Amino acid sequence: MKIDEFMTTRIESIDADSSVYDAIEKMVDRRIRSLLVVFSGKDKDHGVITARDIVFKVLSKKSDPKSVKVASIASRPIVCIDRALTIHDAAVLMEESVIARVFVCEEGKIVGVLSLLDVMAASLILRARGNYVP
Amino acid sequence: MFLKKILSYGKQEDQVIENVKKHLQLLCLAFDSFCSGIKKNDSSMIREVIDLEREGDSVRREIISTIYAGAFLPYLRPDLCRFVETLDRVFDSLEDAALNYSDVVLPEQIREECVRVASMNTNMGEMLALSFDAMVNGEDLREKALAIRIYEKKIDDIKFSILKEIRTIPVDNFWQGRTLAEFVSDLTTISDMIEDATDYLQIINISMR
Repeated sequence: MKIDEFMTTRIESIDADSSVYDAIEKMVDRRIRSLLVVFSGKDKDHGVITARDIVFKVLSKKSDPKSVKVASIASRPIVCIDRALTIHDAAVLMEESVIARVFVCEEGKIVGVLSLLDVMAASLILRARGNYVP
Repeated sequence: MFLKKILSYGKQEDQVIENVKKHLQLLCLAFDSFCSGIKKNDSSMIREVIDLEREGDSVRREIISTIYAGAFLPYLRPDLCRFVETLDRVFDSLEDAALNYSDVVLPEQIREECVRVASMNTNMGEMLALSFDAMVNGEDLREKALAIRIYEKKIDDIKFSILKEIRTIPVDNFWQGRTLAEFVSDLTTISDMIEDATDYLQIINISMR
């Protein structure tokens, strides 16, 4: 099964200069666990901020999320995968990189995101179709 | 297996099963034609959906009359009929989507998402056909029903992103906006109906135990 059959194309992003509080607000409001971090100026590399980053790097340390910038805790560079590859390729990449989501890219542009849950859902569909190979 | 469990197993039951398979096959063809049609923006493929719906309608009538002519035990008939009627509603929505698509220029902002929904609808149709085969063979439908629920949830997510986007698209007049909104509505409610059809299959399967 190809990645683009199961990726999420709606990608929520946040400016790198925003506060972690803004990120929390957006994630809770949209019920998502990560945001793409957009850096401005010459720095064109994107980053990613996850609920895990926020809890472990800010909240557990009792830092004020309003005074911590997203840029300071975002992970960079993001891990990308080609949309033409398979769900299995994505699972291997996620396992190797120890990450819970990969961004799906086409000609250097981010076109979607694939999470661990998407990989599991895709595996169930393959089972139901009868072409699941463990 | 399914048929062998029915005391009144006979020619009429065989005929119903074969016709339901035919109905599902027509539905899968219609999904495929619709999906390729909007991918390639090919109006002749979109028009095929209308012909297939008509063919599906006559198969449905035949199924219902065979059931009420005495096929299957009475307690099974209502759920079988509801299953077939739900397939007909899926066909109707697909036909409406095809008709609305012919009257509207699909904005680029939502084209890719609409194609994804059409493609998932096609996959759901195939999964429904597999579920029916599995039921006839007396197999468990759990995995297939779960796959259909996953697709339905995925389409629901895409629907919200299309609806969010569509509100920002300028329209020239009321009818253009209405046709576009109806196209999106028809396209995205098909998955709910397929989920309902799977539920009826599960009910039939359970009542056979």
